[in-house]
Amino acid sequence: MKPWLKLAAGAAAITLATAGCAGSGGTDPGAAASSAPKGDGTLTVWLMTGSAPTTLTDALNKEFEDAHQGVKVKYEIQQWNGIQQKLTTALSGGDAPDVIEVGNTQTPFFASSSVLSDLSGSVNDLNGAQWLAGLKASGEFEGKTYGVPFYAANREVIYRKDMFEQAGITTPPASRAEWLDAITKLKAKFGSDPDFQALYLPGQYWYSLLSFIWDEGGDIAKADGKSFKATLDSPGAKAGLEFYKQLVEASGTKAPKDNDEANPQQAGIYGGGKAAMFIGTPGEVATAAKTDPSITAKTGAFAIPSKTAGQSAPVFLGGSNLVIPLNSKDQALAKDYLKLLSGAKYQSQLAKAGYVPGTSTDVSGLDADPLSKVMAAASKNGRAVPTSPRWGDVESGQNPLKDMLTAYLTGKKTLDQATSDANAALDKLIGG
Amino acid sequence: MKKSMPQRIGLGVIGVFAALLFGFPTYWLFTTSLKTPGQVLSPEYDLLPSSATFANFTSALTKPGFFTFLSNSLIVTLGAVLCALVAGVLAAVPLARMRFRGRKGFLLLVLVAQLAPVEALFIPMYLLMRDAGLLNTLPSLLLVYFATTLPFTVWMLYGFVNGIPYDLEEAAMIDGCSRAGAFRRVTLPLLGPGLVTTSVFSFITAWNEFLFALVFMRDQSKQTLPVWLSSFRTAFSVDWGGVMAASVVYAIPALVFFLIVQRKLVSGMTAGAVKG
Amino acid sequence: MPAGATPPASPRVSSPSPRKRLRIGERTVPYLLILPALVSILVLLGWPTLQLLGISLRKLDLRELVSGQMVWVGFDNYTTTLTDPQFWEITVRTLVFTTAIVVATLLVSLFLALLMRHLGPVIRIILQVTLVLAWATPVIATTTVFQWMFDQQYGILNKTLDRLGFHGFIGYSWFSSGTSTLTVIGLLILWQAVPFVTFTLYAGLLGAPKEHYEAAGIDGANPWQAFWAVSWPAIRPIMTMVTFLSVLWDFKVFAQVWAIRQGGPDGESTTLPIYLYLKGVAGSHFGTSAAVATLMLLVLILLTARYVQLLVRTKEGDLS
Repeated sequence: MKPWLKLAAGAAAITLATAGCAGSGGTDPGAAASSAPKGDGTLTVWLMTGSAPTTLTDALNKEFEDAHQGVKVKYEIQQWNGIQQKLTTALSGGDAPDVIEVGNTQTPFFASSSVLSDLSGSVNDLNGAQWLAGLKASGEFEGKTYGVPFYAANREVIYRKDMFEQAGITTPPASRAEWLDAITKLKAKFGSDPDFQALYLPGQYWYSLLSFIWDEGGDIAKADGKSFKATLDSPGAKAGLEFYKQLVEASGTKAPKDNDEANPQQAGIYGGGKAAMFIGTPGEVATAAKTDPSITAKTGAFAIPSKTAGQSAPVFLGGSNLVIPLNSKDQALAKDYLKLLSGAKYQSQLAKAGYVPGTSTDVSGLDADPLSKVMAAASKNGRAVPTSPRWGDVESGQNPLKDMLTAYLTGKKTLDQATSDANAALDKLIGG
Repeated sequence: MKKSMPQRIGLGVIGVFAALLFGFPTYWLFTTSLKTPGQVLSPEYDLLPSSATFANFTSALTKPGFFTFLSNSLIVTLGAVLCALVAGVLAAVPLARMRFRGRKGFLLLVLVAQLAPVEALFIPMYLLMRDAGLLNTLPSLLLVYFATTLPFTVWMLYGFVNGIPYDLEEAAMIDGCSRAGAFRRVTLPLLGPGLVTTSVFSFITAWNEFLFALVFMRDQSKQTLPVWLSSFRTAFSVDWGGVMAASVVYAIPALVFFLIVQRKLVSGMTAGAVKG
Repeated sequence: MPAGATPPASPRVSSPSPRKRLRIGERTVPYLLILPALVSILVLLGWPTLQLLGISLRKLDLRELVSGQMVWVGFDNYTTTLTDPQFWEITVRTLVFTTAIVVATLLVSLFLALLMRHLGPVIRIILQVTLVLAWATPVIATTTVFQWMFDQQYGILNKTLDRLGFHGFIGYSWFSSGTSTLTVIGLLILWQAVPFVTFTLYAGLLGAPKEHYEAAGIDGANPWQAFWAVSWPAIRPIMTMVTFLSVLWDFKVFAQVWAIRQGGPDGESTTLPIYLYLKGVAGSHFGTSAAVATLMLLVLILLTARYVQLLVRTKEGDLS
């Protein structure tokens, strides 16, 4: 054997023998905690981009620092891209952040991995009685609480008041029948313009589909003990999908059937002035206003109508929870921080910023803005996706609901075939 | 080779056509960066933009931290390219010009190293950097980019050195040059085009890397441009106009880098011709 | 720079034959020269790769990563993957996809490199700049721009085809099937892969002595003959090299495939890197992802083994 080869082989052998140990992801949490001085004077807080406004966080951090002498809050804004990898590595180190915002559909994954602190004992300190139901469930795992609801937003139908008026629609639709009726009237009035669409509804807008399915009394999956079972082939789910198709066909939407609301961005299309309605969050109107600043004044909103007149359909609550990593060295301080944030003062500020607050039932801060007011009212009927730890695989990966929508809307598959294929795919992801 | 007029025009037309084809997506990106969200995808036929707004550029460039990220990116990228070139040339020369024990093994290593699944290595790399105490420092990124572009650089430069006739160096040595001198005066200038393509490649690879930058750099002040670029996305919306404007800005350093080195592409060639 | 760092060697005027017995000092020269590269590769790539092999035999989810537990599972990660029928289907698809892109990249690049060789400076630089821009544009932007260009309703492509008289393309979906989706993704990858290969081949062509072309011209050879007689020998080694590199890159490409449709519709455009991401990284199953990565590495080694063997043998021979 050549000398250098011998050397390399030796190195390889040593490596193989130690690969396991060196490859272990980090030190024992207990050891990490004891080796570093407890309470090193910094509380690291990670919130996501576009979440709480800076005015809120500045005031919050200042108040916290004033109340805790010698403590400095290191506040950092994280991005959604690659957040899973970022959190994975950050949680594994001995210097994990102390408070983290985690998307509500991601929370079950982290909660089930034994990497978060159990907050069950602090629920009462954190205003537990008023927690937003749709978010609360996502932070719980096997009877313990790991996530504190932070904020949520939900969708509503955003519409052009001026167009409705011209088409002779005096009150916003309050049932599916009225909604379809409004579409007919809008088309009669503006249909001569080939670019006009009464409702912009892209083919893969599965958050909207959720509303229709829930409204029919169906669901996409059911908890079965600890596991989940997909129920896309249930009558309720099928009826919801059928209504989606009915809407697409009635509205003459020109939205792509093979893409979702983000591509192209629906608010941009609405801003173009040729669409009378779209299903979205109040915040999206700001994007539309970048194209046409005058559109804000012409925009109104109504809750997604239910098939039962006078009710609104259940809506998907999108939002975030706050968690404390197990590896955080300042558990007590972190809990204090959560306590401050979950108090009435900052919750009302969250509401004023246009979010449904997570730990307060007082949504009066949202009433100032008519669009947010509608959202807040609908949020009472807010629901969440199945709290499976593997739900993240559905959302970040190949979402069977999207494939199902495209296949059914384009006529590639029948209703039965589309739903049963998607059901099998969903079962493969979260079932068992 | 002399070409007739029609031939030249024909070639020119083909060249322009190819440029149009390859330039179109970039052109489209550029015009998009001048559009409002409503114009990005609109029913109108907008091959030529009817109006332009620079709002996207303003919002992109005034986004906090742009210049910090830019300088971080430049440090990491240029550092990695430079290190890879130096180590690459040093290794390529003995590979091509000398015979020594283990040469074949080293060659094999360089080849196989390029098969390494770099993206899948992110956990082991993370652990390595953590144990070395380099996390959250620019050198950790520099090292990763250096490592990922090095095997390629060695391999490419080895090919290029090999392509330069050894007779030229020999002739110089007969004229009294030392071996190193002969290399510096004869081979290195001829290596120009090779150095250019390799360095442009390394530059772009490192310039675009996202995952390692995101995971290794905890502090925001140490992030690089690709991470900044993805910050235009929030939970409920993406500022696509901003992304496109930022991308235009972002591609400029790579272009400048190319324009600087592309002169070398020609001068290296002529230098070779004179000496040869 | 590099030459300056070379330890001075005594002038060897008589014969540069490497076979000649050298003094100790000179014998260490090549080792000193390759040392930086060797150490860097072993430490920064070799070591993590060995660790990857170790991880592939473990269960390493988020829980284990954080707690530092070692859970050895033997070859479980491998058997799960290898018994997944999807894995084989995806492997075949990835191989076909890679081959198609590599062949297309080489043909287009060769054509462009030859074209550049004969273009006037102005048009040549314009062409080169468009190529560099294609190459330098960040992937997050190019994938989005491609999606927009191919958008079903508002995409410039469908609108243009409609204007040109192909009215069937109004509302045509380019992403309705796996094949069609992969074609669009292929074009995107091709667009960003061609610049490098073109520049490399072009650099190689510049290396071909001009006199040879002139000689060929005087001999009355037509361009085709001149190409085979002069250009081809000059670029053949580079051609093999870029083929090898293209195979590596195109086989491993993730960002573009993922961004366009996340491997959809119905998983029909899923390639091996996407599979690795979905099965491993997305759910933080790093053991599984390490196993898939190792298997991918094996496929790549098989794919390039003959080439590597050939290359090392001939290159070893070319000095003696």
